[in-house]
Amino acid sequence: MAKTLRVRFQPPLVLTLLILGFFVFIPMISAFEYSIRTPLTGGYGWTHYIWAIREDDFFHYILRSMWLAGVTVTITLFVLVPTLTWLHLSRSKVRGLIDGLSLLPLVIPVVAFAVGAQISFPEFVQNTVLELPFLYFVLALPYAYRSLDIGLNSIPLKTITEAARSAGANWWRTITAVIVPVIRGSVMATIALTFALSLGEYTLTVLLHWDTFPTWVTFVAQDNILGAIAISMMSLIIPFLILTVITLFVPERSMQGRK
Amino acid sequence: MTSQVIEGGAPSRGRAFLASFIKNILPAVPLLLIVGFFFLFPIARLIYVSFLSNDNTFTIDNFKTAVQEPYRTGFLNSIKIGVFSAAIAAFPGAIAAYFIETRGNSKLRRTIAVMSGVLANTGGVPLAFMFYAALGMQGYLTKFLKYLGWDLYAGTFSLGSFIGLLVVYLYFQLPLMVIVFSPAIVSLRREWSEAARNLGASQFNYWIRIGIPLLFPSFIASFLLLFASGFSAYATANALTVGNLPLTPLQIGGLLDGNVSAAQLNLGKALGVVMIVISACAVIPYLAIQRRSAKWQKR
Repeated sequence: MAKTLRVRFQPPLVLTLLILGFFVFIPMISAFEYSIRTPLTGGYGWTHYIWAIREDDFFHYILRSMWLAGVTVTITLFVLVPTLTWLHLSRSKVRGLIDGLSLLPLVIPVVAFAVGAQISFPEFVQNTVLELPFLYFVLALPYAYRSLDIGLNSIPLKTITEAARSAGANWWRTITAVIVPVIRGSVMATIALTFALSLGEYTLTVLLHWDTFPTWVTFVAQDNILGAIAISMMSLIIPFLILTVITLFVPERSMQGRK
Repeated sequence: MTSQVIEGGAPSRGRAFLASFIKNILPAVPLLLIVGFFFLFPIARLIYVSFLSNDNTFTIDNFKTAVQEPYRTGFLNSIKIGVFSAAIAAFPGAIAAYFIETRGNSKLRRTIAVMSGVLANTGGVPLAFMFYAALGMQGYLTKFLKYLGWDLYAGTFSLGSFIGLLVVYLYFQLPLMVIVFSPAIVSLRREWSEAARNLGASQFNYWIRIGIPLLFPSFIASFLLLFASGFSAYATANALTVGNLPLTPLQIGGLLDGNVSAAQLNLGKALGVVMIVISACAVIPYLAIQRRSAKWQKR
């Protein structure tokens, strides 16, 4: 059944994809064309990309953004996977509270959150760039939480945990060697989502006066507009590639925790 | 004797409390600490400070100023752009989600999911560049439309105007709609449409009686979330407008950076609180509807 569906020509689907494709790709391709122009010789070339990569700041900021995103992902997994596993197993009364809390960041506009963050934290927090991963964690929490929640809902968690525990695994091993591999689809989705969000976060970062890759692009735009367009294109393509690799690598069955 | 019992009882009660604490709350402490310190505390402080005057006495003057000009126009514009961008994106996004989920194969669906995820997060300067290149004065689409006889820039159009910003916002609103609305479509069971057909319903009947009523709450919920997203978008508006279009997020940003001076130091905080209230009016019903429909969406 599925096979025949795949082979059959689907006019509404094709039409939908065409319209969406035009809307998505015309601006993208237009910007790309700008980014490979060489105004001096009048032709096309990779001049601006090479210029961008040769800038000292390029690697500095891209590494910094990746590093911050990595820390955010680590915090997310280390905090959420054990907590959610426990919540699912224990039927604790705080589950309702935590479910609600995890969704609360959706309610707060990032600009308002930034104002709150700016007036609240003690000096030693405001002075370290490490405040950002924790704030990114909060921004990604509603999505990360829900993704892991769905994953844990779709497996016989109690049975698996009891089996692992009676086979002599401690809690740490049960989580890392048994639960995480079983819900790897959800874990990967969480990683992808948190990573992408942290890598591209602009509003909070700029309002708290930190410099990361997205804010650097804005800065570069002030004196080399074509170079900045080249960097913008890269800032779109890099997360896209990372996410594609992450999502397509995961076997399909585990991606669809809901089904 | 009695005192001994009490003495013996107290530590065991303490131990019982400790045991129940370890069992019921302790594992949640790291999460609660992070969320408490990095989220609830700043929001609580924001609300508290928004009620303070310049010399730290209680006042509601900040809020009085926040609903007067030019901030009033800022709120109206932000609400308008939230409503319009959500209204324009919701229907096409829902249709697209429907065809992708029901007609696409799994590889296509996953690719679209990844792309939507990236596109819904685009914003700021990169997005502004893309639209300058396509719809700016010298943009490709602009030239093409001019060739067809429609001069975009004949009137007052610019990417930094309300209409311009609206078009740009659709670039992340449409993918967001696809993301938010897809789960509802996935959970429409094929059995239902088959059952309806077996009972003699036409395709039209099925949609009017079953499909649309089932999807409608999720559609409204998605619309509300899109509104919140358009209402509070900062980066893109900041990249495209040059102070010509008052929007609340930009006004807050200006106050925060000290670019704009206001007589009231805590005005920006009051604007933030009003934003939270407006956003909550959309997001809380969204969450409530989601929760309700999650019941039948579970397989």
